[in-house]
Amino acid sequence: MSPFKDGVKGALPIVLGYLPVGITFGILARKAGLTSFEVGLMSLFVYAGASQFLAIEMISKGVPNFSIILATFFINLRHILMSSNFSVYLRDVRIPILGVLSAQITDESYAVAISKLPRMKNRPHYLLGLQIISQLAWVGGSVMGALFSSLSTSTGWGLPFALPALFICLLVLQIINAHHFWVMVIGGILSVFFKWALPGNWYILLTALFASGMGMMIEKVWRKNS
Amino acid sequence: MREPMLILIFGMGLVTFLPRFIPMAFLSRWIFPEKLKAGLNYFPVAILSAIVFPTFFTGGNQVEIQPQYLLASLPVFLFAWKVKSLWGSVLLGMAVYWALGFVM
Repeated sequence: MSPFKDGVKGALPIVLGYLPVGITFGILARKAGLTSFEVGLMSLFVYAGASQFLAIEMISKGVPNFSIILATFFINLRHILMSSNFSVYLRDVRIPILGVLSAQITDESYAVAISKLPRMKNRPHYLLGLQIISQLAWVGGSVMGALFSSLSTSTGWGLPFALPALFICLLVLQIINAHHFWVMVIGGILSVFFKWALPGNWYILLTALFASGMGMMIEKVWRKNS
Repeated sequence: MREPMLILIFGMGLVTFLPRFIPMAFLSRWIFPEKLKAGLNYFPVAILSAIVFPTFFTGGNQVEIQPQYLLASLPVFLFAWKVKSLWGSVLLGMAVYWALGFVM
Protein backbone atom coordinates (compact mmCIF):
# COMPACT_ATOMS: atom_id res chain seq x y z
CA MET A 1 0.00 0.00 0.00
CA SER A 2 1.34 3.47 -0.85
CA PRO A 3 2.10 5.73 2.13
CA PHE A 4 -0.61 8.17 0.98
CA LYS A 5 -3.27 5.44 0.96
CA ASP A 6 -1.95 4.20 4.28
CA GLY A 7 -2.51 7.71 5.64
CA VAL A 8 -6.05 7.83 4.22
CA LYS A 9 -6.78 4.56 5.99
CA GLY A 10 -5.34 5.91 9.24
CA ALA A 11 -7.70 8.89 8.95
CA LEU A 12 -10.89 6.80 9.10
CA PRO A 13 -11.32 6.84 12.90
CA ILE A 14 -10.63 10.59 12.83
CA VAL A 15 -13.28 11.06 10.12
CA LEU A 16 -15.82 9.22 12.28
CA GLY A 17 -15.02 11.60 15.11
CA TYR A 18 -14.88 14.81 13.07
CA LEU A 19 -18.01 14.40 10.90
CA PRO A 20 -20.62 14.51 13.70
CA VAL A 21 -18.77 17.20 15.66
CA GLY A 22 -18.37 19.20 12.40
CA ILE A 23 -22.11 18.90 11.73
CA THR A 24 -22.81 20.11 15.27
CA PHE A 25 -20.45 23.03 14.70
CA GLY A 26 -22.20 23.96 11.45
CA ILE A 27 -25.65 23.93 13.06
CA LEU A 28 -24.57 25.96 16.09
CA ALA A 29 -22.52 28.43 14.04
CA ARG A 30 -25.58 29.18 11.89
CA LYS A 31 -27.54 29.71 15.12
CA ALA A 32 -24.85 32.18 16.23
CA GLY A 33 -25.42 34.16 13.03
CA LEU A 34 -22.69 32.94 10.65
CA THR A 35 -23.59 32.25 7.02
CA SER A 36 -22.91 28.78 5.57
CA PHE A 37 -20.05 30.28 3.55
CA GLU A 38 -18.48 31.77 6.68
CA VAL A 39 -18.84 28.41 8.44
CA GLY A 40 -16.93 26.66 5.62
CA LEU A 41 -14.32 29.41 5.50
CA MET A 42 -13.68 29.18 9.24
CA SER A 43 -13.32 25.39 9.17
CA LEU A 44 -10.93 25.69 6.22
CA PHE A 45 -8.69 28.46 7.55
CA VAL A 46 -8.87 27.99 11.32
CA TYR A 47 -9.37 24.22 11.58
CA ALA A 48 -9.27 24.02 15.35
CA GLY A 49 -12.38 22.47 16.87
CA ALA A 50 -12.36 23.77 20.42
CA SER A 51 -11.51 27.35 19.48
CA GLN A 52 -14.10 27.40 16.69
CA PHE A 53 -16.84 26.39 19.16
CA LEU A 54 -15.48 28.90 21.62
CA ALA A 55 -15.46 31.59 18.91
CA ILE A 56 -19.12 31.15 17.97
CA GLU A 57 -20.07 31.16 21.67
CA MET A 58 -18.15 34.42 22.09
CA ILE A 59 -19.57 35.88 18.85
CA SER A 60 -23.12 35.25 20.06
CA LYS A 61 -22.23 36.93 23.38
CA GLY A 62 -20.89 39.98 21.54
CA VAL A 63 -17.26 39.53 22.60
CA PRO A 64 -14.96 41.75 20.49
CA ASN A 65 -12.88 40.13 17.72
CA PHE A 66 -9.60 40.93 19.45
CA SER A 67 -10.47 38.87 22.55
CA ILE A 68 -11.63 35.95 20.40
CA ILE A 69 -8.40 35.97 18.39
CA LEU A 70 -6.30 36.22 21.56
CA ALA A 71 -8.12 33.28 23.16
CA THR A 72 -7.69 31.28 19.93
CA PHE A 73 -3.97 32.02 19.97
CA PHE A 74 -3.46 30.78 23.54
CA ILE A 75 -5.59 27.66 23.09
CA ASN A 76 -3.65 26.58 20.01
CA LEU A 77 -0.12 27.46 21.14
CA ARG A 78 0.20 23.80 22.13
CA HIS A 79 0.58 22.96 18.43
CA ILE A 80 4.14 24.31 18.72
CA LEU A 81 5.03 21.11 20.54
CA MET A 82 3.53 18.84 17.88
CA SER A 83 4.98 20.87 15.01
CA SER A 84 8.44 20.73 16.60
CA ASN A 85 8.16 17.00 16.99
CA PHE A 86 7.21 16.56 13.32
CA SER A 87 9.96 18.94 12.17
CA VAL A 88 12.70 16.53 13.20
CA TYR A 89 11.46 14.03 10.61
CA LEU A 90 10.64 16.46 7.80
CA ARG A 91 13.84 18.47 7.59
CA ASP A 92 14.36 18.15 3.82
CA VAL A 93 10.74 18.65 2.73
CA ARG A 94 10.09 21.81 0.69
CA ILE A 95 8.51 24.83 2.44
CA PRO A 96 5.19 24.89 0.48
CA ILE A 97 4.58 21.23 1.37
CA LEU A 98 5.50 21.99 4.99
CA GLY A 99 2.98 24.82 4.87
CA VAL A 100 0.19 22.41 3.98
CA LEU A 101 1.35 19.76 6.45
CA SER A 102 1.66 22.17 9.35
CA ALA A 103 -1.66 23.96 8.74
CA GLN A 104 -3.43 20.63 9.18
CA ILE A 105 -1.86 19.56 12.47
CA THR A 106 -4.46 18.60 15.06
CA ASP A 107 -4.31 16.72 18.37
CA GLU A 108 -5.93 13.75 16.68
CA SER A 109 -3.75 13.61 13.56
CA TYR A 110 -0.67 13.99 15.75
CA ALA A 111 -1.81 11.17 18.01
CA VAL A 112 -2.38 8.87 15.03
CA ALA A 113 0.82 9.86 13.16
CA ILE A 114 3.18 9.68 16.11
CA SER A 115 3.44 5.89 15.94
CA LYS A 116 4.59 6.18 12.30
CA LEU A 117 7.08 9.01 12.80
CA PRO A 118 10.38 7.10 12.51
CA ARG A 119 9.31 5.58 9.18
CA MET A 120 8.10 8.95 7.89
CA LYS A 121 11.55 10.52 7.49
CA ASN A 122 11.34 13.12 4.69
CA ARG A 123 8.46 11.26 3.08
CA PRO A 124 5.42 13.36 3.92
CA HIS A 125 2.91 11.31 1.91
CA TYR A 126 1.56 9.38 4.88
CA LEU A 127 0.96 12.57 6.85
CA LEU A 128 -0.55 14.30 3.79
CA GLY A 129 -3.07 11.50 3.26
CA LEU A 130 -3.95 11.34 6.94
CA GLN A 131 -4.44 15.06 7.38
CA ILE A 132 -6.10 15.98 4.07
CA ILE A 133 -8.84 13.40 4.64
CA SER A 134 -9.24 14.50 8.26
CA GLN A 135 -9.68 18.15 7.34
CA LEU A 136 -12.03 17.22 4.50
CA ALA A 137 -14.25 15.52 7.08
CA TRP A 138 -14.16 18.60 9.31
CA VAL A 139 -14.92 21.12 6.54
CA GLY A 140 -17.48 18.81 4.90
CA GLY A 141 -19.20 18.10 8.20
CA SER A 142 -19.47 21.74 9.21
CA VAL A 143 -20.81 22.84 5.81
CA MET A 144 -23.33 19.96 5.90
CA GLY A 145 -24.43 21.04 9.37
CA ALA A 146 -24.72 24.67 8.26
CA LEU A 147 -26.83 23.79 5.20
CA PHE A 148 -28.96 21.32 7.17
CA SER A 149 -29.67 23.87 9.89
CA SER A 150 -30.96 26.42 7.38
CA LEU A 151 -33.51 23.82 6.23
CA SER A 152 -34.77 23.08 9.71
CA THR A 153 -36.23 25.84 11.85
CA SER A 154 -36.60 23.69 14.95
CA THR A 155 -34.99 24.99 18.12
CA GLY A 156 -36.33 22.15 20.24
CA TRP A 157 -34.93 18.70 20.92
CA GLY A 158 -32.55 20.00 23.55
CA LEU A 159 -30.50 21.96 21.01
CA PRO A 160 -29.91 24.86 23.45
CA PHE A 161 -27.89 22.43 25.59
CA ALA A 162 -25.77 21.00 22.74
CA LEU A 163 -22.99 23.54 23.14
CA PRO A 164 -22.93 23.54 26.98
CA ALA A 165 -22.75 19.73 26.89
CA LEU A 166 -19.89 19.83 24.39
CA PHE A 167 -17.96 22.31 26.52
CA ILE A 168 -18.53 20.20 29.65
CA CYS A 169 -17.05 17.20 27.86
CA LEU A 170 -14.10 19.22 26.48
CA LEU A 171 -13.51 20.52 30.01
CA VAL A 172 -13.64 17.06 31.60
CA LEU A 173 -11.24 15.69 28.96
CA GLN A 174 -8.71 18.35 30.01
CA ILE A 175 -8.74 17.23 33.67
CA ILE A 176 -5.68 15.02 33.78
CA ASN A 177 -4.51 15.45 37.36
CA ALA A 178 -5.50 17.08 40.67
CA HIS A 179 -3.96 20.42 39.60
CA HIS A 180 -6.32 20.60 36.63
CA PHE A 181 -9.25 19.79 38.90
CA TRP A 182 -8.44 22.69 41.23
CA VAL A 183 -7.94 25.05 38.29
CA MET A 184 -11.46 24.08 37.20
CA VAL A 185 -12.86 24.81 40.69
CA ILE A 186 -11.03 28.14 40.91
CA GLY A 187 -12.00 29.03 37.33
CA GLY A 188 -15.64 28.15 37.99
CA ILE A 189 -15.88 30.37 41.07
CA LEU A 190 -13.89 33.23 39.52
CA SER A 191 -15.90 33.23 36.29
CA VAL A 192 -19.27 33.46 38.06
CA PHE A 193 -17.90 36.24 40.27
CA PHE A 194 -16.30 38.16 37.37
CA LYS A 195 -19.43 37.84 35.26
CA TRP A 196 -21.44 39.37 38.07
CA ALA A 197 -18.87 42.04 38.93
CA LEU A 198 -17.67 43.19 35.51
CA PRO A 199 -19.47 44.61 32.48
CA GLY A 200 -19.47 42.89 29.10
CA ASN A 201 -17.60 39.67 28.55
CA TRP A 202 -14.25 40.32 30.12
CA TYR A 203 -14.90 37.48 32.56
CA ILE A 204 -13.87 34.83 30.02
CA LEU A 205 -10.37 36.07 29.25
CA LEU A 206 -9.76 37.36 32.81
CA THR A 207 -10.76 34.03 34.35
CA ALA A 208 -8.63 32.14 31.86
CA LEU A 209 -5.52 34.17 32.68
CA PHE A 210 -6.10 34.23 36.47
CA ALA A 211 -7.03 30.58 36.84
CA SER A 212 -4.18 29.28 34.67
CA GLY A 213 -1.80 31.48 36.68
CA MET A 214 -3.21 29.95 39.86
CA GLY A 215 -2.58 26.52 38.34
CA MET A 216 1.11 27.34 37.94
CA MET A 217 1.27 28.55 41.55
CA ILE A 218 -0.48 25.43 42.90
CA GLU A 219 1.97 23.28 40.98
CA LYS A 220 4.95 25.17 42.41
CA VAL A 221 3.69 25.03 46.00
CA TRP A 222 2.78 21.34 45.86
CA ARG A 223 6.12 20.43 44.34
CA LYS A 224 7.92 22.27 47.14
CA ASN A 225 5.92 20.49 49.84
CA SER A 226 6.25 16.99 48.46
CA MET B 1 -19.98 38.88 3.35
CA ARG B 2 -19.48 40.98 6.45
CA GLU B 3 -16.05 42.49 6.86
CA PRO B 4 -15.66 42.06 10.67
CA MET B 5 -16.42 38.34 10.29
CA LEU B 6 -13.82 38.07 7.52
CA ILE B 7 -11.27 39.79 9.77
CA LEU B 8 -12.14 37.44 12.63
CA ILE B 9 -11.80 34.31 10.49
CA PHE B 10 -8.46 35.34 8.98
CA GLY B 11 -7.20 36.62 12.34
CA MET B 12 -8.04 33.28 13.95
CA GLY B 13 -6.54 31.53 10.94
CA LEU B 14 -3.27 33.43 11.25
CA VAL B 15 -2.81 32.85 14.99
CA THR B 16 -3.50 29.14 14.59
CA PHE B 17 -1.26 28.80 11.53
CA LEU B 18 1.89 30.42 12.94
CA PRO B 19 2.38 28.09 15.96
CA ARG B 20 1.77 25.15 13.64
CA PHE B 21 4.06 26.36 10.84
CA ILE B 22 7.06 28.12 12.41
CA PRO B 23 8.54 25.19 14.37
CA MET B 24 8.09 22.78 11.48
CA ALA B 25 9.62 25.16 8.96
CA PHE B 26 12.47 26.69 10.90
CA LEU B 27 13.43 24.51 13.81
CA SER B 28 14.83 21.08 13.99
CA ARG B 29 15.04 21.07 17.75
CA TRP B 30 13.13 23.62 19.77
CA ILE B 31 13.45 24.06 23.49
CA PHE B 32 10.07 25.21 24.74
CA PRO B 33 10.25 27.75 27.62
CA GLU B 34 9.29 25.77 30.72
CA LYS B 35 7.29 28.60 32.28
CA LEU B 36 5.14 29.11 29.18
CA LYS B 37 4.63 25.37 28.94
CA ALA B 38 3.44 25.22 32.56
CA GLY B 39 1.00 28.08 32.02
CA LEU B 40 -0.37 26.67 28.77
CA ASN B 41 -0.92 23.40 30.57
CA TYR B 42 -3.74 25.04 32.53
CA PHE B 43 -5.12 27.52 29.99
CA PRO B 44 -7.64 25.18 28.29
CA VAL B 45 -9.08 24.06 31.65
CA ALA B 46 -9.30 27.66 32.83
CA ILE B 47 -11.01 29.07 29.74
CA LEU B 48 -13.43 26.13 29.45
CA SER B 49 -14.39 26.59 33.12
CA ALA B 50 -15.09 30.24 32.38
CA ILE B 51 -17.40 29.16 29.55
CA VAL B 52 -19.15 26.29 31.36
CA PHE B 53 -19.92 27.51 34.88
CA PRO B 54 -21.53 30.91 34.18
CA THR B 55 -24.13 29.18 31.95
CA PHE B 56 -25.63 27.68 35.13
CA PHE B 57 -26.48 31.16 36.37
CA THR B 58 -28.48 34.04 34.96
CA GLY B 59 -26.49 37.12 34.07
CA GLY B 60 -27.16 40.69 35.12
CA ASN B 61 -27.22 42.16 38.61
CA GLN B 62 -28.87 39.21 40.30
CA VAL B 63 -27.15 35.87 40.21
CA GLU B 64 -29.75 33.11 40.08
CA ILE B 65 -29.35 29.42 39.38
CA GLN B 66 -30.82 28.09 36.11
CA PRO B 67 -32.01 24.67 37.32
CA GLN B 68 -32.58 23.13 33.87
CA TYR B 69 -28.98 23.83 32.81
CA LEU B 70 -27.52 22.78 36.16
CA LEU B 71 -29.46 19.49 36.37
CA ALA B 72 -28.78 18.57 32.73
CA SER B 73 -25.06 19.17 33.26
CA LEU B 74 -24.67 16.61 36.08
CA PRO B 75 -25.12 13.43 33.98
CA VAL B 76 -22.98 15.00 31.23
CA PHE B 77 -20.09 15.57 33.66
CA LEU B 78 -20.36 11.97 34.81
CA PHE B 79 -20.69 10.55 31.28
CA ALA B 80 -17.82 12.64 29.90
CA TRP B 81 -15.60 11.57 32.78
CA LYS B 82 -16.40 7.84 32.45
CA VAL B 83 -16.87 7.43 28.68
CA LYS B 84 -14.84 10.37 27.26
CA SER B 85 -17.02 10.70 24.15
CA LEU B 86 -17.73 14.17 22.69
CA TRP B 87 -20.61 13.09 20.50
CA GLY B 88 -22.15 10.93 23.24
CA SER B 89 -21.96 13.79 25.74
CA VAL B 90 -23.73 16.17 23.36
CA LEU B 91 -26.53 13.67 22.63
CA LEU B 92 -26.97 12.79 26.31
CA GLY B 93 -26.98 16.46 27.33
CA MET B 94 -29.58 17.37 24.69
CA ALA B 95 -31.79 14.40 25.66
CA VAL B 96 -31.70 15.18 29.40
CA TYR B 97 -32.26 18.91 28.80
CA TRP B 98 -35.15 18.15 26.46
CA ALA B 99 -36.72 15.69 28.95
CA LEU B 100 -36.32 18.16 31.82
CA GLY B 101 -38.28 20.66 29.76
CA PHE B 102 -41.43 18.59 30.35
CA VAL B 103 -41.14 18.45 34.13
CA MET B 104 -39.83 21.93 34.88
